[in-house]
Amino acid sequence: MRPDLRRQMPIVVSRRRFLQLLGMSGAAVFLGSCGGEEEVVQTTAASASPTTAAPTTAAPIDIDFWLPGGSDPFCQGFVTVADAFSASGSGINVTEVLCGVADDEDFNERLLANLAAGTPPDAVIIWDPPVVMASLGALEPLDDLMAASVNSKVENWPEGVLASCRWDGQIFGLPATASSYAIFYNQELLESKGIPSGRDDFPTTWDDLKALSAEFVQWDGDTLVSAGMIPPYDAVEAAIWSATNGGTLYDAESKQVRLDSDENIEMLDFGLQWLNEQYKGDWVAMDASGNYLGAGYVDELGRPPGFQGGDQLAVVNGFWLAADMYGSEFAGWERWNVAGFPVGPSGTSTASGFWPNWCAIPKGAPNPEASFAWLDYLVVDGMSTWFSQVPDIPTNRLAPDDLFPQSVADQRGDEFATDMTQFFTGQLEVAAPMWTCPVQNFLHDQLYTAISSVMLKEATPKEALTLAQEATQAELDSLLS
Amino acid sequence: MRLLRPGAVTQAERTDEPRQGFYAGRMGFFRQTAWHIILGGLSVCFALPLLWMLSSALKENQEIFRIPVQWFPETFLWGNFIEVLNYPGYPFFLFFRNSMFYAGMVTVGTVLSCSLVGYGFARLRFPGRGFLFSLTLATMMVPYIVTFIPTFLLFKNLGVLGTYIPLIAPAFFAEAFFIFMMRQFFRGVPRELDDAARVDGAGEFRIFWQIMLPLVKPALVVMAVFTFVWTWHDFFRPLIYLNDPDQFPLSLGLFSFRGRRLTEWHLMMAAATLMTAPLVILFAVAQKYFVRGMRMFGIKG
Amino acid sequence: MARLRRLRSRPLGRREALAGFLFVSPWLLALVVFHLYPIVAATYLSLSEYSVFTPPEFIGFDNYAKLWDDPTVWRAAGNSLFYALLSVPIGLVVALILALLLNRPVRGIGIHRTLFYMPAVVPPVAGTIVFLLLLEPRAGPLNTAIETVGLDGPAWFQDPAWAKWGLIILSLWGVGAATLIFLAGLQEIPESLLEAASMDGAGPWRRFSNVTLPLLTPVILFNLVIGVIYSFQVFDAAMIVGGTSGVPGGSTLMYMVHIYRTAFGYFDMGYASAQAMVLFLVIVAVTGAIFGTTRRWVYEGV
Repeated sequence: MRPDLRRQMPIVVSRRRFLQLLGMSGAAVFLGSCGGEEEVVQTTAASASPTTAAPTTAAPIDIDFWLPGGSDPFCQGFVTVADAFSASGSGINVTEVLCGVADDEDFNERLLANLAAGTPPDAVIIWDPPVVMASLGALEPLDDLMAASVNSKVENWPEGVLASCRWDGQIFGLPATASSYAIFYNQELLESKGIPSGRDDFPTTWDDLKALSAEFVQWDGDTLVSAGMIPPYDAVEAAIWSATNGGTLYDAESKQVRLDSDENIEMLDFGLQWLNEQYKGDWVAMDASGNYLGAGYVDELGRPPGFQGGDQLAVVNGFWLAADMYGSEFAGWERWNVAGFPVGPSGTSTASGFWPNWCAIPKGAPNPEASFAWLDYLVVDGMSTWFSQVPDIPTNRLAPDDLFPQSVADQRGDEFATDMTQFFTGQLEVAAPMWTCPVQNFLHDQLYTAISSVMLKEATPKEALTLAQEATQAELDSLLS
Repeated sequence: MRLLRPGAVTQAERTDEPRQGFYAGRMGFFRQTAWHIILGGLSVCFALPLLWMLSSALKENQEIFRIPVQWFPETFLWGNFIEVLNYPGYPFFLFFRNSMFYAGMVTVGTVLSCSLVGYGFARLRFPGRGFLFSLTLATMMVPYIVTFIPTFLLFKNLGVLGTYIPLIAPAFFAEAFFIFMMRQFFRGVPRELDDAARVDGAGEFRIFWQIMLPLVKPALVVMAVFTFVWTWHDFFRPLIYLNDPDQFPLSLGLFSFRGRRLTEWHLMMAAATLMTAPLVILFAVAQKYFVRGMRMFGIKG
Repeated sequence: MARLRRLRSRPLGRREALAGFLFVSPWLLALVVFHLYPIVAATYLSLSEYSVFTPPEFIGFDNYAKLWDDPTVWRAAGNSLFYALLSVPIGLVVALILALLLNRPVRGIGIHRTLFYMPAVVPPVAGTIVFLLLLEPRAGPLNTAIETVGLDGPAWFQDPAWAKWGLIILSLWGVGAATLIFLAGLQEIPESLLEAASMDGAGPWRRFSNVTLPLLTPVILFNLVIGVIYSFQVFDAAMIVGGTSGVPGGSTLMYMVHIYRTAFGYFDMGYASAQAMVLFLVIVAVTGAIFGTTRRWVYEGV
């Protein structure tokens, strides 16, 4: 008996799974739009594979492809792409797409068991950074294959995103998509107080944003009835707010963890002051009042998101939220927009972050060339289909760049949808280095512990970050030795 | 605590006709009603998940997670069930057959093997019994997280990955939880019963099969129900060991409705309801064995 | 556990021993193949560095030494201990009371038996989600009920001080299985004994304490030991509520969750195995202690 709903908040898998589990706005739109195609897809998938690859005379190579999660339509999308790939005369059949089976954690166990047993799939999408798995010898290096490829040459990937795949001078993954982060805010709420609501008018320093937030905070006794913005708290987003203050969490070049840098301590202390000034210094009361931490999604207690309810000025989240914004929880207002991250007290420039889907080839896969040919096709030619199922920003420079989420266009028009999508694409240019630490998951858990102990007043920012720093550096050193 | 002296129960007493049972006819109408009211409140609390699942299966997706909890749908969308049965990634009847096969085989294997082994540990003395029983308990104490990869390698080396063998075969060789349970139940049976049969010259297997098994029938039913329900829900082992979607059980197919970001909860709940219905029926039928008095037949001569 | 029977009256017959071995023989095979081998393997892994991707490398007791100084391990152990110490005894008492209530020849009582077992029959996903909704701090049914009595309900899973209590309540909700086992035990108690006690003038309480309870002790022992074994290994519920970080604030980071994330999050299967071995030894010690006391309170049909 292994149930599957996992609490989604500030944990690595969290945001993603949170969305996956509890996001439901837009589901109807989504299904309505692809419901018709589904059956067609199904029938072709069932009958197509052996006949369509006919052009090549040599026996086609069969490969299997695993990815951690997805609904049936999403998986069928991959089957469609795979069939098109087989039909393109590649001489390769993607015979098995194992997809959306149980939780990503259960998927991970299945994958690891097969890696341990020496029976890996030919190609995978993974949600652990390639640098993590590569440092443990789990993946095939891709440099030569990339150099010889049509789409995936090194220069076709933004370096900031590709950095998450680099280890020991080699590249071990293709970041097929990378959805960037921004601040989503409620324009109508601002205008109701006569505050200019354009993207250019949005505060550019954390100090100003904190002051703006104060305008919208309202308590009724112990209950927070409306919120401005919640101070930075998420351990994944920590990379962003550290970068906006001129800091970093991990320096890949020198292989040093930098959790307890002055910039990070300052920023965490800033968050704590924010909590004290506007939220009575009481994290529990704030969290118990309503869904202000779900960042735009229904939380695991079934509470509708404060942002869509019109009770919260702004939330931080990734591009995916845009596509899911206009759901049933969206009440009584229409105009939201997105803005970049403000600059911290010691910072000089804005920053953003991103969350990729990585493609990789497990160590010991029998046909790396064929596997790579498939991935090379997927990351460019497969992107329109992927996007139509789950809007993620394609990373490769050759991938289509005119995509936008239909649900946003339906509500706000193509122009807004395009502009908004381009804004997110631009955010990738200022993305902080993320997912580059070989002990990423450990670092994340330590950071979560540190942040929550500060917000719950169990430790000062300096104490908490120093503890996390020491533990993480020790873990890294023991991996590297 | 005062213990009963051995010999307090005789075979004659045990084989009394049950119709005159101690509890029979003791409670009048009003006391019965009172009992129902007390239990009713508790039952409702325990049954909430079922009610919620059922009502969610009849809702629109967005309606499901509403707070305060909405126990009844605004409109009853029976079409959700039709949609599930026609869902491309969820061939319900195929998965249902697989689940029946998987849960049925495991149940048969478990009931047979665990009652046998449990009896051996409870009643028969052999060298090393205590030690072996300790080992048996110990197998429950090691977290699966650290043993499942070695186990997976074992089945890989046996060449049975991608088949139902790793899922079903172990059930026929017993399992610690139920060995322990059956041992406890057999130990609770007074010695006089089997000793008398032994004096009559009955073989050990006959004593087990004809005398002891009928006495622990409620425990056997519990074992069968638990095994069936747990296996029916199990998706982890099918996920690890099976490759071909045509082999998947219902539990694994449930995840067809899960999206990376958007999950079709209403369909998932409708599927879960369809999946649960057989279990509810199974339990409703099986629990008649919890009626006092059903255990007594079986001791002959 | 290897406990001498109180009345060892008969000699250890060779025929009986042979029959005994035959009865348990299927299990002996499984014990070696399916259980001892993985346990031995895990023990070896606990003495190794093993990331799953490359073969294990023997490093002696380093993992165990590291464990002693790891504050996260201690914190997780504390959480698990708190959970086990409360959920096991409360669960036993509740299950026993429910079983006694259900063990009546009331017409239609079968419906109640079915309903009590419902949480176990419903797929875990559905059962758990609804439980989380029930414990919502503001509008959730439980706190609404508490409010009507004039009290303020806690924030349950939003509050580090209460989150573990939420898990304990969740465990009580799944008490149907133990109830059913108790019920099966009650079914085995000969009615003639109860009647005899009744004729001797014993009231309901004395019948319960002198007849029912002693005869039920083997089943109580079973539920107690199983409760201990499983509660120390609580995993699924904690993962659902708190994820691998033990949200809120690490308060639901149970020991098994930490083992899990060490193995599959940090890819340190060797260290995870060492943690698992320590857990194993603790459970062995606790259950061993319980079995050590059974002579004093468990009735055996000897």
